[in-house]
Amino acid sequence: MKRVALTVTLGLVAAAHAQKVQAPIPIGVALAQTGNVALLGQEQVIGARLAEKYINARGGINGTPIRLIFQDASGDENTAINAFQNLISKSNVVGIVGPTLSQQAFAADPIAERARVPVLGPSNTAKGIPQIGNYVARVSAPVAVVAPNAIRTALRLDPKIKKVAVLYAQNDAFSVSETGTFQETAKAQGLDVVTVQKFQTTDTDFTTQVTSTLNSDADLVIVSGLAADGGNLVKQLRQLGYKGLIVGGNGLNTSNIFPVCQQYCDGVIIAQAYSPAQPSAANQVFVKDYRAQYKKDPPQFAAQAYAGVQVMADALRVIDRRKKLTTWELPALRTELNKQILAGKYNTPLGELRFDKDGEILQKQFYVAQIKMKDAKNGSFVFLK
Amino acid sequence: MELSQLIQNLLNGLAIGSVYAIFALGYTLVFSILGIINFAHGAVFTLGAYFTYTLVVGQFENNGLLRGINLFPDGSPFAGNPWAFALATLIGAAVAGVVAVLIERLAFRPMRARGADPLLALVSSLGVALVIVNLIQLLVGAEIYNFPSNAYGEVRPALSFELGGRTVIVRTVQLIIFGVSLVMLAVLGYVIGRTKVGKALRAVAESPGTASLLGISVDRFILITFFLSGFLGGLAGTLVGTAFGVAGPYFGVTYGLKGLAVIVLGGLGSIPGAVVGGLVIGLAEAFVPGDYSAYKDAVAFALLFLILLVRPQGLLGRAQIQKV
Repeated sequence: MKRVALTVTLGLVAAAHAQKVQAPIPIGVALAQTGNVALLGQEQVIGARLAEKYINARGGINGTPIRLIFQDASGDENTAINAFQNLISKSNVVGIVGPTLSQQAFAADPIAERARVPVLGPSNTAKGIPQIGNYVARVSAPVAVVAPNAIRTALRLDPKIKKVAVLYAQNDAFSVSETGTFQETAKAQGLDVVTVQKFQTTDTDFTTQVTSTLNSDADLVIVSGLAADGGNLVKQLRQLGYKGLIVGGNGLNTSNIFPVCQQYCDGVIIAQAYSPAQPSAANQVFVKDYRAQYKKDPPQFAAQAYAGVQVMADALRVIDRRKKLTTWELPALRTELNKQILAGKYNTPLGELRFDKDGEILQKQFYVAQIKMKDAKNGSFVFLK
Repeated sequence: MELSQLIQNLLNGLAIGSVYAIFALGYTLVFSILGIINFAHGAVFTLGAYFTYTLVVGQFENNGLLRGINLFPDGSPFAGNPWAFALATLIGAAVAGVVAVLIERLAFRPMRARGADPLLALVSSLGVALVIVNLIQLLVGAEIYNFPSNAYGEVRPALSFELGGRTVIVRTVQLIIFGVSLVMLAVLGYVIGRTKVGKALRAVAESPGTASLLGISVDRFILITFFLSGFLGGLAGTLVGTAFGVAGPYFGVTYGLKGLAVIVLGGLGSIPGAVVGGLVIGLAEAFVPGDYSAYKDAVAFALLFLILLVRPQGLLGRAQIQKV
């Protein structure tokens, strides 16, 4: 097994050896375009494409355009691994933005690490992602940083909250990681976790979990899941008569849950790493472009993918000023790009961000929003001060 | 377990179990006639929900080739009125039935004509299922589509009553699903048990060769079987869609697997077995304690395994007798 891994790695490195970087500069994007996570992946693809269009419209990398090469990473580990391998050895990309899920990152990022190709995770928020290797960084703030804000806000809105019910998707690494943070925060705030219910991201019927939650007399419900299951769970909680506050995790942080829980989404509190109201110039441009095309505010997943591509492009621009990108050997540029990503400071739609030495994002601003539904289908995230 | 919890679990189990039953009936019908499992049945289930959604809402989101399309800018004639919605559901199911007929033509008949191994037909249907699921995503994206909350008219979302000091709650949509499923099961039972078409279907299932000698057009009845199977699958898809939303192109996959467990548990090819199997699996899932509810699929399949150890032919299946 070790010998096979070594052979694959040597093959990937050898394939890139002594090869000049091509123009337009190829950047890999490995996101879930199919499968049950495509709901998030499609948003990310939109964000990445908008970034490519914007960067190239402004002259690309000092006159050399970039080209995003998309590979479907679907929602499973094997497809993500294949996508990474194709981007590295066939498409000869300088870096990769992806994959969509944390559990895919744990499987696919080591491939890039061994081939010495920088990776930027656009939505991998589980604990331990930047520690996968030296070539792995992320533009998605970890749940441990973002999630506690939502509970604190819920307690501010209703100081009488004492009992908490926690529900999470146990087959999703990110949700498992997030619920750990939520539960620790709840206990730290002196709250009593009266029931912990598990479900699968593929579930649609939550009657069992909801009736158990109702019988626990919880006055706050915390949900960690993805948009489809999480939205459905919120809907069924409300339909069966739960009237207390609901806190949703990062997976529910998308306007795609509006058509799922419809009017029942109203009032759900969500901690966010991105806000369309973020005042930076980069965000204003992004929001304007997104709204022009899709007639709604951009979701966090689109913003983070946009930021991922932008970080790559900004870092490449700095390198290009020192030495033209097309004169670099591919392996050398990949290593240099990784160094530059970690060294730079970036003004993105997420606000100003940097990275620590591990590749962990250092982000200045976070937000807590509450969903307000205009009607059965349309709503918005209203930001709570 | 308290009585209120027992009743609650029973209601939950019967509602989802009845959907499993009508979905699994589609599997069973095809198996009883051709002796093969149609793996595309889960995709037909998904299509049924999308067809009904198209009639009732007809609006598609930002991804897929149909993005931005709104078939009913002034509101769909099938929305907001329970009878119009019922008609849309029947049309959606009928179109799903037509798709099932096309699947038979494309995936099963050519194999049958060449005398291919039934395993090849099974693989072929799996291929069709994947093509359908991906086509759905290509056309309408991976978004979740939801029926309007007043699809059944202005009904209360849930009904509740007190029992032993505890509240028992049931979603109205679950009661409707249970009622519709019972009606469909009764209609199907009547068609198969009491009508000429039903007799012919049973004759074809028993012995296609003999049925053919008696003047029954076997191919025609195979098509009828596929239509009925697709109709039931599409109907189940819409029922689940109204209760839980149409959760993307892949939302039939889980039901496809569950349906398989149901027909094996009930007895392959047994129509009453599919009903009993569906209800048993639904109830088994409902009685999994809340803290472990994520394992309900594992419980359902473990139950299947245990029952098959005792009764390899399933609950209502007939044991194979070999004459020596």
